[in-house]
Amino acid sequence: MRIDRTHRPWAIATVVLAIASTVAYVIYALETPGGPRGGTGMGLTFGIAGYALVLYAGLLGARKRVPTWRLGRAQTWMRGHLWLGLLSLLLILYHAGFAFRGPLTLIMMLLFFIVIGSGILGAAIQHYVPSLMTSRVPLETIYEEIPHVRAQLRAEADQLAAGICGTLDGEAEEHSSVAVEIEHDDRIRFRDIYLQKVRPYLNDPESKSVELADPLRSGETFEALRRLLAPPVHGVLDDLESICEEEQQLSRQIRIYRWLHAWLLVHVPLSIALLVLGAVHAVVALRY
Amino acid sequence: MPGRIRTTKKLAQRIDLNYFKTLRGIPRWRRILSGVFVFTGLGWLGWHAIAGSPKPYNAGPLAHAHALLGQKCGACHVSEASFRESATDQACLGCHDGPIHHADQTFTPACSNCHVEHQGAFRLASTSDRACTQCHADLKTTHGESKFASNIRGFDSSHPEFAVLRSGYTDPGTVQFNHAVHLKDGLRGPNGPVQLKCGDCHQPPDSSNRALMAPINYERHCESCHPLQFDRRFSESAPHKEPQVVYDFVHARLVAYIAAHPAEIPLVDEPDKRLPSRPPQPPARNAAEWVAQRMADAQLLLWRKSCKECHSLSYPNGFDALPVVAKSQIAARWFQHAEFDHAAHQMVRCESCHVKARTSRETSDVLIPGVQTCRECHHAGRNAAEARCFECHTYHDWSKEKPVAGRYTVSQLR
Repeated sequence: MRIDRTHRPWAIATVVLAIASTVAYVIYALETPGGPRGGTGMGLTFGIAGYALVLYAGLLGARKRVPTWRLGRAQTWMRGHLWLGLLSLLLILYHAGFAFRGPLTLIMMLLFFIVIGSGILGAAIQHYVPSLMTSRVPLETIYEEIPHVRAQLRAEADQLAAGICGTLDGEAEEHSSVAVEIEHDDRIRFRDIYLQKVRPYLNDPESKSVELADPLRSGETFEALRRLLAPPVHGVLDDLESICEEEQQLSRQIRIYRWLHAWLLVHVPLSIALLVLGAVHAVVALRY
Repeated sequence: MPGRIRTTKKLAQRIDLNYFKTLRGIPRWRRILSGVFVFTGLGWLGWHAIAGSPKPYNAGPLAHAHALLGQKCGACHVSEASFRESATDQACLGCHDGPIHHADQTFTPACSNCHVEHQGAFRLASTSDRACTQCHADLKTTHGESKFASNIRGFDSSHPEFAVLRSGYTDPGTVQFNHAVHLKDGLRGPNGPVQLKCGDCHQPPDSSNRALMAPINYERHCESCHPLQFDRRFSESAPHKEPQVVYDFVHARLVAYIAAHPAEIPLVDEPDKRLPSRPPQPPARNAAEWVAQRMADAQLLLWRKSCKECHSLSYPNGFDALPVVAKSQIAARWFQHAEFDHAAHQMVRCESCHVKARTSRETSDVLIPGVQTCRECHHAGRNAAEARCFECHTYHDWSKEKPVAGRYTVSQLR
């Protein structure tokens, strides 16, 4: 999500709430003998408010699971998640009085800092990287579909190659089942080239050692193949080059996707752990 | 041969409509890691719960005094559900008494209000100023007005001048003493000129109690220069005691002397320059008359000169009777409501705080340093001496402390 003008009301509301909380905290801290603590009335208020915001931020995940429910726009939820989640850190720090000496509270604060830090990193990535995806991956597909699409591309390439040299498993055929009439030697040469260069790449597009994985070297390779093979095959070579290029884009999409989403491997699990431990902390702290 | 044509339909046909039913890659790992983190956290808590250890929920290390109770939360915290984190007063008073501050205070805070635990190994008595100023910033008593300053918000800002330095207050001591004279260079001493230092006279009672200075003692601090000589025939001095004791001592010495030297009865003494000039006395006719004459001279020397040099003497029973010496009233403790420790300040030169000592000429001069002198070092900030209330003041009136019956056995605390 881009942090644009639509975030302004949320940002202003967050800043106003942060200032109000800070003023309240300063007065409370100065007026409380022994300093601010989580167990005082004001400390509990900060704690409850902070945990409520954490809970709200955590509900974004649940909201995404029920996209058809009329619970407000997903973008609104995301803006609230970003800004109120940020505010929750301040409130929890005020709740703790900037002191976290117990093992559980120390762990929770560490989790909190990591969650907020990864969230800020994620927000920055989500702000800048999607435009990169648009420009560098015009043939972007659904991430989860990539293995399925790749299988289709491989089948399509095999079909194109079979149109030149017949079946790929046995000897190159001479009969009329092929789509393009070329010399037998060219057919054998094409088959060998396909099986040695193109097919390995399509089988393992993420392999760095395959020369077709590199766009520059891929172009050079196909140019060399055009010089090597008869002109009737050039159309098929163009299609195979197009398939390889699409594979390269899918590889690029995977890399960018990882950039876009890897931070969630930290942010989401730790957020859930924080919510659970926070609930335990609340119950135990209120009991004692 | 036509090239590859990517129509929307063709692209749509690529999509496996069941793709969302199976998680792959990052979403899958996200779910796995979520489970791992949550179960790790709950496992850690559960393991401690099974072991009966409250360690994860410990709010922080305890003060040294309570370190023994580190794993026994229930010793201080009530076990019933409540919206409070602090230990109850009842729990605190079970182990130690907390005498009331003042009988006429309008508000008695809870123990945990001032003594904040789980802050680490430091003194629980190191309370915040707010613990004191919650009352002293606007002091009220059950009787209305307070005789103490009623608007104190901190030592730096609004602490009043010390009571003994406020106008109208003088040193209550009656022993006449001139600090300026005694501290001047080349003071005449018993064995030649001396330079007195503060520590020559102002000393702590003993090496284990160096907080306050002991009152000046005649035998230790004065006698060497100010002996109570009563007759030239005796090298020893009269005792520094009540007039009757002095009288009896001198009389006994004279009686014993003339008994041992009966030949001196008719002799007439040379006039003593220390005594006011008067006609020479006639020769004594017997020992009793000799003793009476010398007793008169000795009393004149003692009451009218030696004793009078420092003490105030009165003669309520007539000038022929023994004088009454005013009580010295040397203050042993100047701050009645605060603690001061000279030992903690021994790196500072005496006159650096007691600035008037070197020039003071009157007994009535109060030479205690003022609050501003203390503030030179004791003020807010990192590079300053402690300036919070507890540094000098004690809340509990420990003179009213009651013994507490112990409630633990050694094995319970182990």
